[in-house]
Amino acid sequence: MASDSELSDFLKSVEKRAFKRSLYHVRDEDAALDIVQDSMMKLAEHYGDKPVDELPMLFHRILSNTTLDWFRRQKTKNALFTNFSQFDSEDSTEDFDLLETHQIQEGQERVESAQRTVERHQSIQEIEHEIQKLPARQREAFLLRYWEELDVAETAAVMGCSEGSVKTHCSRAVQALDKALKAKGLQP
Amino acid sequence: MNTSHHLTEAHTDRLARQVAAQLDQGLRELPHDISERLRAARTRAVAARRQPVVVLATGARVQKGTLVLEGGPDKMRFWGWMGSLLPLIALFLGLFAIHTLQNDWRADELASVDAALLTDELPPTAYTDPGFLRFIRAGAPESTAGRTNAD
Repeated sequence: MASDSELSDFLKSVEKRAFKRSLYHVRDEDAALDIVQDSMMKLAEHYGDKPVDELPMLFHRILSNTTLDWFRRQKTKNALFTNFSQFDSEDSTEDFDLLETHQIQEGQERVESAQRTVERHQSIQEIEHEIQKLPARQREAFLLRYWEELDVAETAAVMGCSEGSVKTHCSRAVQALDKALKAKGLQP
Repeated sequence: MNTSHHLTEAHTDRLARQVAAQLDQGLRELPHDISERLRAARTRAVAARRQPVVVLATGARVQKGTLVLEGGPDKMRFWGWMGSLLPLIALFLGLFAIHTLQNDWRADELASVDAALLTDELPPTAYTDPGFLRFIRAGAPESTAGRTNAD
């Protein structure tokens, strides 16, 4: 069974990515924070006695379900249920190179110029924007598979679909991202 | 899907990792208040976690050179039963005692009334006589007053 410190460490290791994942889906910081908090509470209350190595899968599943519940509640309230394909893609045309931005890390000068910082920030925002534009299932598969680094079987288990579907979603997501980033000059 | 835009598996994987790395960079730029709210949520969750059931040993003995704890759930359950049963027994005993005392008091009251009737100058059968009842209703005050004057 995971100790309090192990549970805390685990939650600390996933909380920021969980927040971002929720934010990409719901596009509302407060709602995303609520979803992450609910997910943490559910994990701790119902699965707090599980071994620490079972926590990641449980948490991802809980987070996905809690996000889905949020959308259901929104739909019930006749709130806007986001049309995932309705986006404006012409608002940013800054010329950034993804690899150039990526090379800034180790071995290079540690102090960034203000322009460099702004460019990097904008580049990240562009990528996050494109992630948000993906259809929900593709986005979920992509984030679980490549950001949370689950394997295909684990991603399929969290999403409740077949491994073939996961591969299809991931492939389409990456193709869409590649196309969109190239169009914006963010050549990977 | 545009068939001319197919990527090799290696290219797909490389691109996906690069995008994930960019997303990781974005995590470092989370606003302070978001980080603090996440920390608070984590603290609340850890505090609310389901606590394991603690089994308490009620005794210990040495068996073949080994200290063995004994008791635990069965004995604890017995004392738990006893703990809830004793107040119930005390309640029933108290109710029984109150009931008995009230019966005794009521019997004493009836006995004192009977004794007053039997020791009075007027025989109890007088109260069953219709003429006497009419006499009491019509002339009791006068006769009472006359008797008082005679006394």
